[in-house]
Amino acid sequence: MADPVDEESGEAGPLDLTPQASRPQRRARNPFSIAVLLLVVAGVVFVLLRTLGDASLFFYEVDEAVSLRAELGSERFRVVGTPQPGLVETRLDGQAAVVFTLCVADVLADVAHLGDPAELFQPGVPVVLQGFWVSGEPPGIGSLTAAAGDGWYLRTDHMVVKHDNDYRGADAELESCGVHS
Amino acid sequence: MVDTTTTTASPGSRLLGLTTLVGLAGLILFAFVLTEPDVRLHPTTGEEFGQFDAVRLLYLHVPMAVLTYAAFLTCAVASAGYLLKRRPWWDVTAHASAEVGTVFCGLVLVTGSIWGRPVWNTWWEWGDVRLMTTLVLFLLFTGYLALRRTPAEPQRQARRAAIVALVAVLDIPLINRSVEWWENRTLHQQSTLAELKIEDLTLFTLMLGLVVFGLVFAWLMLHRFRVGWLEHAQAGHEVALAIAERHAEMETLDVDAAIGRTGGAR
Repeated sequence: MADPVDEESGEAGPLDLTPQASRPQRRARNPFSIAVLLLVVAGVVFVLLRTLGDASLFFYEVDEAVSLRAELGSERFRVVGTPQPGLVETRLDGQAAVVFTLCVADVLADVAHLGDPAELFQPGVPVVLQGFWVSGEPPGIGSLTAAAGDGWYLRTDHMVVKHDNDYRGADAELESCGVHS
Repeated sequence: MVDTTTTTASPGSRLLGLTTLVGLAGLILFAFVLTEPDVRLHPTTGEEFGQFDAVRLLYLHVPMAVLTYAAFLTCAVASAGYLLKRRPWWDVTAHASAEVGTVFCGLVLVTGSIWGRPVWNTWWEWGDVRLMTTLVLFLLFTGYLALRRTPAEPQRQARRAAIVALVAVLDIPLINRSVEWWENRTLHQQSTLAELKIEDLTLFTLMLGLVVFGLVFAWLMLHRFRVGWLEHAQAGHEVALAIAERHAEMETLDVDAAIGRTGGAR
C-alpha cells in the first residue's frame, strides 16, 4: 500500500490517524436476489387477485342455489351437492352429456353436465359443479327415479369431486341425502 | 483459523441419518405395499368407489404438511428469540428451519397436485382457500430466503428476516383452520383424526409417516444448522482476517516511518 502523499510537495507525509466522518457507502446489490424478491411480491399479488376474483364463485349448496334461482339468473356459479343414484348418458346441443340429480338437505336439483364426469364420480360422493340455471328439462330426465323435475336444471361444464374425510374402508359412511343414500 | 475440512456430520447425525433411511424404507413398504387401497362398495349401486391407490399419497402429503408447519413455527420462535436476545444462534436456527420448511412446503404443493388429479379431477383449483393460503405461505418464505441473500449488514439482515418470518407465519393458522372457517370455499376435507375416521393399518401408516418425516426434518435441520453456523464462523473469521491484515499494514507503515522510507523507495 502506498504511503499518503503530501499534495503540495509530492512527498510522502505522516499517516493521518485522526477520526474521519465515514462516507456514505454505496451498498452492493445482488440483482438475482432482488429479482426473486420482486417475483415473489408479484406472485403473492397474483394469487390474491386470482383468489379474490374467484370469490364470487364460492360453492352454493344445492338448497341455496334453488332458493336463489331468480337472483342468480343466467349467472355462472359453483354448486356443491351429493349425486343421487341414476345417471343418463345423452347428448345436449351436439355434445356428450350426463344427466343426474344433485341433493343437499333433501332439496333436489337436476343437472346436465357437458363432457365426461369426474373419474371418481359416484352417487353419495359430493361434487362441485360450475355452470348456470336453465329453464326446462334435460334430455333423459324421465329415466331418473329421484329427479327434481321442477322445470329447471343446472347446465354445467366443470366438475370436481369433494371427497370426504372417512378413511375407514368398508366402514366408511356415505353422505346421506334424498330418498337414496 | 477456520478448519475448512470440517464436515457437518458427527456420529450422532450419522446414526440419525441411518435411522431416517431405514424409517423411509419402512414407510414406503407400508404406504405402497402393505396398506390396502381405498376401495369401498357402494351400498346402493354395488359399484366400487373411493380414492383407490391415490390414497397412498396421503401417507407422504399429510406428514409433509405437518412438518411444514413445524419448520415455519420453529423459524418464527427462533426469529422471536433473535429479536429478543440478538444472538446469532437464533438467527442461524431461523434461517435453517425456513429453508427446510420451504422445501417441505414445495413438496406439499406438488404431492397435493399429483393426488388432486385423480381424486378431485383437477391438478389445481384457484378458488380453493387452503391451496391459495398454502401457496402464499410458500411464496412468503421464498421471499424470506431471497431477502436473506440481499447484501446488507448482518445484524440488519437478520432483524429484517426475523420480522418477515413473524409476519409470514401468521398464514399457518389460516391454512389450518380454512377447512372449518370457509367450508364452502375448499375441496379439502375436514379433519379426519379429530373425528376418528381413520383406523388400523391406515392410521398406523399415517403415524409412521409423521415419525419418519419428523426424523427427515431433524436430520436436515441438524446439517443445515451446522452449515449456517460454519458460514457464520467463516464470516467472523474473514472480518478478523481483514482486521489483522489492516493491523499488519499499519505496523509496516510505522516501521517505514521510523526508518525514513518513502512509498516510492519500496
